[in-house]
Amino acid sequence: MNGNDDPAPEHAKAAPAAGKASGIGDSAAGALRGAARELVEVAVTIQETAAHATAALTDGALLRALPRRPAAARPAYRALLRATTNGQGLGCALTGGRLATAAAKIGAMAGAESLAVHVLATSLRLRIAAVAVDHPELTDDPMLARLIDAAAADRDLEAVRALRALLKDRGAVHALSQLAPVFGEVLALRALLDENPLNDAAAWLIATGKGYVTADPLTGLSNRAVAALDTGEGVARRTELTGAEAARLSRRGSLLGFLRDISTVGTTGRILIRSVEGPDGVVRHVLQAPGMRAGRPSGDSPQDLLGAFSSAVLDSSPFSRALARAVADYGLAEGAELALMGHSAGGAAIMNLAQDAEFCARYAVTHVIAIGSPVDFKRPADPRTFVASVTNQHDIIPTLDGQGAGGCFDLHPDWYVVDYFDSTHLFPLCHSIEHYLANLADDLPEARAHLDERLAPFAGPVVRSQAYQLFDHVPDLTGFPFLTVPTYSLDGPAGAVELPIRCRDGSALTAYFTVDPSAAARLLEGTGTGPALRVGGRALVCVHAAWNRRTSAGGYRELHLGVVVPGPDGGGRRRSFLAWPDLLRGAARRRSGSYLVGSVVDTAATFVVAPRLWGGEPHRTPLEFRLTRRCARVTVGSPGDEILTLRGRLGPWLPTLDRDLVGYAGGGGTTLRSCVRTRGPARLHPLPLLRLSVAPEAAHPLADRLRELGLDGARPLLCLASTRRQALRDAAVPISAT
Amino acid sequence: MSADLAAIAAHAEVLRADAQALTACAERLREIEAGLAASGIAPSWLRASVNAHRAACLQAATDLNTAAARLHHYSNATAHP
Repeated sequence: MNGNDDPAPEHAKAAPAAGKASGIGDSAAGALRGAARELVEVAVTIQETAAHATAALTDGALLRALPRRPAAARPAYRALLRATTNGQGLGCALTGGRLATAAAKIGAMAGAESLAVHVLATSLRLRIAAVAVDHPELTDDPMLARLIDAAAADRDLEAVRALRALLKDRGAVHALSQLAPVFGEVLALRALLDENPLNDAAAWLIATGKGYVTADPLTGLSNRAVAALDTGEGVARRTELTGAEAARLSRRGSLLGFLRDISTVGTTGRILIRSVEGPDGVVRHVLQAPGMRAGRPSGDSPQDLLGAFSSAVLDSSPFSRALARAVADYGLAEGAELALMGHSAGGAAIMNLAQDAEFCARYAVTHVIAIGSPVDFKRPADPRTFVASVTNQHDIIPTLDGQGAGGCFDLHPDWYVVDYFDSTHLFPLCHSIEHYLANLADDLPEARAHLDERLAPFAGPVVRSQAYQLFDHVPDLTGFPFLTVPTYSLDGPAGAVELPIRCRDGSALTAYFTVDPSAAARLLEGTGTGPALRVGGRALVCVHAAWNRRTSAGGYRELHLGVVVPGPDGGGRRRSFLAWPDLLRGAARRRSGSYLVGSVVDTAATFVVAPRLWGGEPHRTPLEFRLTRRCARVTVGSPGDEILTLRGRLGPWLPTLDRDLVGYAGGGGTTLRSCVRTRGPARLHPLPLLRLSVAPEAAHPLADRLRELGLDGARPLLCLASTRRQALRDAAVPISAT
Repeated sequence: MSADLAAIAAHAEVLRADAQALTACAERLREIEAGLAASGIAPSWLRASVNAHRAACLQAATDLNTAAARLHHYSNATAHP
């Protein structure tokens, strides 16, 4: 069964209603768009005549005639030259062929445009006027009107001044948001009329709606050249969602449920494939692709900025290829029914997948629903595929292909298009999946009902889910060579756990404090690991917090409180100052470490094996960990029931490498030694401005330990912070056994 | 040489047809503006812009007719000296 069984073509450019845009054929806006479209046809006709005149002018037949019969040929040549350069007629109309194109570009640089360009500019102004029917602020607001008028009148200096005034008065976010509905038109106007010949082709494409914008309308920089920088075969690796994420996933198939799933997965470089059992008992599948991943413009994820760009510009990108690999790994049978849903760059990527004939031959792509995505010039390979595009007119992202609210062409009459606006004009807020979700839930009941109706075969219980992490290239998942180590299974209460736990991506903060030596001594009494190392006569303790984002045991956060000790048996009875260099050694050769007097972890999977990992009596509690270059915030406990908070600015820093950790703890009647071997850059903060606070009402054992040590309200002596590290954590070893 | 003359004559024909197309464009522009004006939705700047485009179209048509005539003249003069 295909999602578009209805033979009648469906076109649902949102009908005029509160909150929806006036469609192509509607009243005033429709008439203005119709006129704009006719002007494009006139401009194209004029351009064709210019091409014919140029062809005659540059034809070798006429050029050869000049020396042979100059008396007859020269007037003809002069007439052609006048026809193609007369500012009162076709304007600077040389077009077609390298020589003529070069001459035209020189003319454009001199500010001499062709008649076709002027007619196109009028068409674009009519498109802006059409949008203004729904967005009167575009013409009523003097600052916006000034900018648009200046762009339309080719007054460069005035346009720059108007833009600067708008930015100064409204700020970049407000200015962009207000311009968003006519962003493409204003850019195209500027590009058509400015003196930069490199952006003319892009402007022509926007104005005529003939194809995807090939270049940046401002600079003329080739979009395809930029997109080509996004290389990679596209790779998908299975990954597990956190417990909280998995709990938030929808249980039944529906439009809003699938969009909530995209919101839950977030812009983390992950996607989701789910299977639902439809009302007819058939199991169908849904691929859900979120938008661009936050972070570096070009990282190892196909969902980075470059990946988003290439997905929009190219027919196939690492993003869409990674999606195809995820589908293949999921194990769908040939001919399985598949719905594709994507937000932002995810929408462009799923459209790329839908226009892959080979992919569509293998699976029945029944639905494609793109939310806030630039997909106007993409076409599904299977004409039966139901395609829906939902766009907010203040969202700039869908206009990146050159077609926005002002579009006057019915580019895809067989699609279900919801192009609407709401009271929130702020970009990027209006681009978020949460905002689209809210709009569809509250403001667009007809669209939601229609899409749900189309998704009726998917309205059933979810029977399977799998998340995937996407990569441009085959990732260095094992962290070769650091994380390439022998592994073994350790039986735990909840099943076997593979050790050592290999963390591919994590952050850590270790804060060192000084405390009353007698308080530390009380905690170390009978452990055989004291006395505590001292700084200026005070005992050294550390608080180590880590967020192990991607590990072989799933993601988890942990926090440990330890007293820094020279090692078992007092570090071999060495003098205290000799223990300091030992702290800098790798874990394999280090005796000194932290005697753990309190540990917490936030996931059940890690909690059950924690006694084997580091001993002691760890606790399970929610943990918040935020670490940036400037500041840190670590909170133990659930919101409203916090146990401790360590937060503040990290202050100046020195570059260094992350250090291994050695911990001691009691367990099974002996002392256990645990190690965390680490690799990655770190920052040593010698003057941190963090403060540790213990919640006054907290009755947690960790809170008691912190109070015993006098750490409530304390500031650390120094901190070691790493936002990007790999780590290996093996099981703790009884000291007596070594 | 005869091929060159044929090519030039063909250009002349195309340019003459283009001149007629431009004249039609001028008329179409007038109708577009008139339609919007009759509906009361024509922007205030539209008439001036369309009039300028129409004048340019008509001038371009004249230019192309002139060029076509001179190309014809050349090909005729060369073919029948």
